[in-house]
Amino acid sequence: MTIVIKTKNLCRYFGDNEETMVKAADQVNIEIEKGEFTAIIGPSGSGKTTVLHLMGGLDNPTSGEVELSGKNIAKMSGGELCDLRRDHIGFIFQSYNLIPVLSAEENIEYIMLLQGVKASERKKRVKEMLELVGLSGLEDRRPGKLSGGQQQRVAIARAMASRPDIILADEPTANLDSKTGIALLDVMKELNEKHDMTFVFSTHDEKIMSRASRLIHMRDGKVELDERK
Amino acid sequence: MQLVQLAFRNLFRNTRRTILTVLLISFSLTALIITDAMMRGMTDLIVKSITETLLGEAQIHKLGFRDNFDIDLFIDDAADLEDSLSNDPTVLAHASRTISGAIISSSYNVTGGMVYGIDADAEADLSRIKIAVESGTYLSGKPNEILIGKTMGELLEIKLGDRIVVTLTEANTGEMTQALFRVSGLLHFGITEIDKNMVFINIDEARKLIRLGEHGAHEIAIRFRNPEDAKNPDLAVFKDHNTESLESLSWLQLNKEVSSIIEMSSYGTLIIGLILFLLASLGVINSMFMSIYERIYEFGVLKAIGTRPLDLGVLIMVESLLIALISCAVGIILALLISEYTSTVGIPLGEMEFSGLAISDRILTQFHISQITELPIYVILLTMVSGLYPAWFASKIIPTEALQRSL
Ligand SMILES: Nc1ncnc2c1ncn2[C@@H]1O[C@H](COP(=O)(O)OP(=O)(O)OP(=O)(O)O)[C@@H](O)[C@H]1O
Ligand SMILES: [Mg+2]
Repeated sequence: MTIVIKTKNLCRYFGDNEETMVKAADQVNIEIEKGEFTAIIGPSGSGKTTVLHLMGGLDNPTSGEVELSGKNIAKMSGGELCDLRRDHIGFIFQSYNLIPVLSAEENIEYIMLLQGVKASERKKRVKEMLELVGLSGLEDRRPGKLSGGQQQRVAIARAMASRPDIILADEPTANLDSKTGIALLDVMKELNEKHDMTFVFSTHDEKIMSRASRLIHMRDGKVELDERK
Repeated sequence: MQLVQLAFRNLFRNTRRTILTVLLISFSLTALIITDAMMRGMTDLIVKSITETLLGEAQIHKLGFRDNFDIDLFIDDAADLEDSLSNDPTVLAHASRTISGAIISSSYNVTGGMVYGIDADAEADLSRIKIAVESGTYLSGKPNEILIGKTMGELLEIKLGDRIVVTLTEANTGEMTQALFRVSGLLHFGITEIDKNMVFINIDEARKLIRLGEHGAHEIAIRFRNPEDAKNPDLAVFKDHNTESLESLSWLQLNKEVSSIIEMSSYGTLIIGLILFLLASLGVINSMFMSIYERIYEFGVLKAIGTRPLDLGVLIMVESLLIALISCAVGIILALLISEYTSTVGIPLGEMEFSGLAISDRILTQFHISQITELPIYVILLTMVSGLYPAWFASKIIPTEALQRSL
């Protein structure tokens, strides 16, 4: 089995004062294997966002390491980290993922443009992705004219289109009603199964977490339980 | 990439703010262009008032004459000099003059003044003497004609046709000589110094009276085809006629006071420009920051998915550039519309005499190509410089922090 992301004794503390210091991530050791569909769950403030950001190289750990496909990202410069995120990691956030002045199609193209993908290839992938997330026909709409669920699907399509090793999603369904949330998760699940895309996402929602093949329970910055179904 | 397109669309996210920013910058540019046009109009007015009244754009004298108008320091062969000026393609008009101090007396009063012997025909193309004739007639070459300033006329209590006696000194000998004239015209220049002190007679008569010989003159006044030539020291008029005994000077050298006033007025434009620019640039910085603050979360996402910091900075710079370009277009159009009016109808001033110059009651603004080429470039540069700080700020946004902002 290939390991996509591995964290070693990962710690992220906020504040310098011993007493008031918050341990948002505390000795976190997680290995994510290729093709896994993992949910990080836990109460508010347990460190889900912190861990996802550390895994994606958005934040620097206080101590410990993150390895992405065997490479230690702590040793990377800002520019390298930026390119790493562009080429190897897909991000989906809770909401407002899209550039409001670009159409769905242009949003999906965005990372590919940064990557320097050829125009013909971009068009091909955009079409393919819109089909995968079930939004064919809506390519010219701007985010303001799409529903919350549709916007999140465009965000998934954008992440997928850049062909990352892994997609990190921080509460992608939190701003959606439960039905739309489940539908979105089904899209992710399908991409995971049919295209072998690795997903790590965080959630509060019981119905959503039940669809994951692996659950990482967090509390006070620590991994409390790591269960595979 | 389509950075320009993205920047362009971003401008229309908050159309009202963009319009306000554009108006601020374009009004500044308009104000700057109109100020410049007004200063040019004013300068032109002053220059014309000086050069066209009596001075001309250049003058040739015997060296030393200007120091205290010594009647003995005259040009012996003015005719020869005038011939060469006639052949000079840069010269539009030229005229010889004699200048001497005199005592002027009527049956009621006596006053001191300057007697100018002038070539009536040549002077018509060169100075405003002919135009200044308010009553009576201009010189025609007949004997005993004299033109007198209106103010002097009032002092002497004379009217047209009255007799006056002019007492002069002969050149070289210093002997006194007297002549009788009949007032043929009264002059009104609107310039106290001239209206009060000067009288004009035919040059041939003057030459005989003060014994300058057939071709003698104290002064040759010159006007150029292109008035700007007065500023060119390499011109033949200045090069050829500055000799051991002659000096040929432009009006700028002859009237140092006014040329320094004109120089100072260009600082005025500069200061107004700086203030306008400062205000406009604060406006740009403010508006760019507002637009960045609104988009911090978005920039956080853009950075998280791999946009380089530099690209975000460049995006803000392109947005600033677009604002600057639109503003310049608006500002130029506005300025052209306004100057359409101010350059024909003028800006009213009220009559005034300014350091011995009569200035007409309004300023006609003057267009110059630099107003739509140079000034907008300064505006664009300034807007870009103002955009630097916001751009730097945007490029420094830290994604994790930006993403934690509650919306
Ligand atoms: N920039 C920060 N400065 C100080 N404390 C922080 C910062 N970011 C996070 N924390 C703290 O770290 C802890 C973990 O936060 P984190 O956002 O990872 O939790 P979470 O599990 O994502 O919570 P939620 O479910 O509410 O999103 C919290 O106690 C939070 O207050
Ligand atoms: Mg969170």
